[in-house]
Amino acid sequence: MTRKPRACVEIEHDLIAAASGDAQPSAARRVEHHIHACGACRGEFHRYREIEGVVHTLRRAPAASEGEAHARAGLESRLADLRSRLVSYRVFPSPLGHILIARSEHGVSLVEYLQGRSDVNSSRLGRMTGVELQEDGAEIETFYRELLEYLRGDRTRLEWPLDLRLARSDFHRAVLRATTAIPYGAVTSYAGIAAEIGRPSATRAVAQALRWNPLPIVVPCHRIIGTAGTLTGYSGDKLGLKQRLLAVEGIQAKGQRSDSRVVRDTLYHYDRNDQHEYCLPTCGDIARRPIGPVTLLATRELAASLGLVPCTSCRPDLHPLAA
Amino acid sequence: MMGSQPFETLVGAHHAEIYRYLRRVTARPVEAEDLSQETFLRAYRAYRTLGPDANVRAWLFTIATNLSRNHFRSEKRRRVAHQAASVESREADPEGPEDEALFGEARTLVDSTIRKLPLKQRLAFIMRKIHDLDYEAIGHSLDCSAESARAHVFQALRKIRLGLNGHELPPTRDVDSAFSMERPR
Repeated sequence: MTRKPRACVEIEHDLIAAASGDAQPSAARRVEHHIHACGACRGEFHRYREIEGVVHTLRRAPAASEGEAHARAGLESRLADLRSRLVSYRVFPSPLGHILIARSEHGVSLVEYLQGRSDVNSSRLGRMTGVELQEDGAEIETFYRELLEYLRGDRTRLEWPLDLRLARSDFHRAVLRATTAIPYGAVTSYAGIAAEIGRPSATRAVAQALRWNPLPIVVPCHRIIGTAGTLTGYSGDKLGLKQRLLAVEGIQAKGQRSDSRVVRDTLYHYDRNDQHEYCLPTCGDIARRPIGPVTLLATRELAASLGLVPCTSCRPDLHPLAA
Repeated sequence: MMGSQPFETLVGAHHAEIYRYLRRVTARPVEAEDLSQETFLRAYRAYRTLGPDANVRAWLFTIATNLSRNHFRSEKRRRVAHQAASVESREADPEGPEDEALFGEARTLVDSTIRKLPLKQRLAFIMRKIHDLDYEAIGHSLDCSAESARAHVFQALRKIRLGLNGHELPPTRDVDSAFSMERPR
């Protein structure tokens, strides 16, 4: 058997490329020139062209099939399952210690104080069953940046999509929703929330529900205190954090640990039995009325934004509290 | 960002093609089904982090290709696939009688040669010749350069060519038309 001439060996690569329509114009010209003179390579070229033709018919196979429909249906069901289970999270440093933020497809589902720890395994999220965890970047970073701005006092709203599926019951969800409605710089009581959701006798249950708030800060349970103004509790034993979060909003508390209470004479008062009027703390006996029916407000701007007008007796508009 | 387009749109646009790709790569429909589902589940997990200019189709092919390679890493599966090759090649033939008469035997031969190719060559060949991906994307999928991807496809073509020695093929367009730089339609 004779060996292939060197020119034919050298052009083989370009020949295959040209036959597949894959060659540069210059290579295609070389091939055209070569096969004009070389019968063997012309034959090869035809052969490769024929292969292209056969391969082209393979493109249509397998055609749309039952198999594809079946695979697609299976995918839809597996996707639905994954969507309901997938939780992405990140752990960030913050002035309040390490904070874990987790979100599902529906929205932010968990904010957790990790304090000294920074690994997800020792978190509430890490202990959950039936979820698939995924450490995520950019999306949660945005929430983190907003949270830092909030903690610095540069932002008063965290308008995040929330996923309340981690709430334990409809009652729990109702408590969380009512709590979310308490505006920045305002304080009410557990009894106030109980009344708000139409369960006035459920004060203790409300307190218990907020003890398990899956979304602290964004569902601002730090704005809920005892009727007498004591801070009462926060996320287990983190009263110091509660005091700090309230201070960011302009609400001061004094006293140590379980004794710490909001300083009412630095805050405006609004009793919901009054006709949309807000008062100075020195107006009658308002500062002795229970918080709940009375909401405490850090600023007159907040009062105005809630549609409240200055009381015509104590005139908070003429005698504003020292900032 | 890509994530703003619902994931369903992506499934709708690409599922059939990815399934067909995997159907050709794997030996049995059940493997293609499993791998294509896994491809889209992985894609879903990573979808939100995908850049705005990402080529979603090439990205899906990369995921599917990686999964296939992992799948075939088990020597046993490769053997099974190899044995299945001769049986399967006849199954995947949906064309009408005329086409069958013209191309039937040649196609069966080509198809079975493709199924016996080394995995990288097979994947590169199918991506290029059946799905028209460019060498850049194929190289990315196979974790090699575009040039290596091209070399894989050419090696595959050579083997198919050798496999057809002694067999007649149906005629195609003449030589001159090949130089119009058009791929056969």
